Amino acid sequence: MLTCKQASYLASKKLNKKLTLKEQLDFFLHTMICRLCREYARDILVLHNIAQKAGRAGKEILSGSAKLSEQSRKSIKQTLDKAMQSK
Amino acid sequence: MTHKLSNPEQWLALYGDILYRFGLARVRKSEVAEDLVQETFLAALKAKDKYTGQSTEQTWLIGILKHKVIDYFRKASRDNVQEFDENIIAEKDDFFNQQGHWHVNLSSWSKPEEAMEQDQFLVILQQCISHLPPRMAQLFMLSEFDNMTSEEVCELMSISTMNNFWVMQSRVRVQLRHCLDINWKN
Repeated sequence: MLTCKQASYLASKKLNKKLTLKEQLDFFLHTMICRLCREYARDILVLHNIAQKAGRAGKEILSGSAKLSEQSRKSIKQTLDKAMQSK
Repeated sequence: MTHKLSNPEQWLALYGDILYRFGLARVRKSEVAEDLVQETFLAALKAKDKYTGQSTEQTWLIGILKHKVIDYFRKASRDNVQEFDENIIAEKDDFFNQQGHWHVNLSSWSKPEEAMEQDQFLVILQQCISHLPPRMAQLFMLSEFDNMTSEEVCELMSISTMNNFWVMQSRVRVQLRHCLDINWKN
């Protein structure tokens, strides 16, 4: 029988790759009797789906507050201006 | 619907910060992220005649930036600058006890259903990601948000074996899930 630690590893791997038959069986047997791991597997599936959806929609960048520093903004502007003139 | 490009002179004001955030979340170094923003604009300037208007200007620019991020990882792993600290795998794990049972309280958070809820959820998720060790955060960004295959992420981040990748990926998820348990209340 798997430990919860091993089961959490399979729950995670399962989201990105098809498990081998043995892995599937081990995981199935463990989650039959382990509520914590069932909940864990369900939660990381939600996390996986939301992250992928947000990635496709370009949404994850809406949050966060990092900004270009004034200095780098200036230097990018100069480089861009130069590139535009030489066109 | 076709989209039009705005004047390149406005790009920096309109998209500078957005591109910077996108890059920073992946490369995790501000000076590298700044360079990537500049390179993206320069590449966009060269390619602007090829813009077909099928995606928005922002999506188009991010598409270019994604390639720049990948180039950066490729180059870094070639130059061997980038060493994935795989010792992290051997580190003590606070989430399981010695018998491999859950060591943390698992309270279950509810699934954000509405679009607005999901946006709030993403804000919390982003904060949780920013508390991860940089390499772990990188791994999660590339494989989950950018939808790269595990093999691609392994190659880009110079992770030596697939098993190490799965172990790290699993650890990231345990940590993020725990962070969400604590911080996501709705």
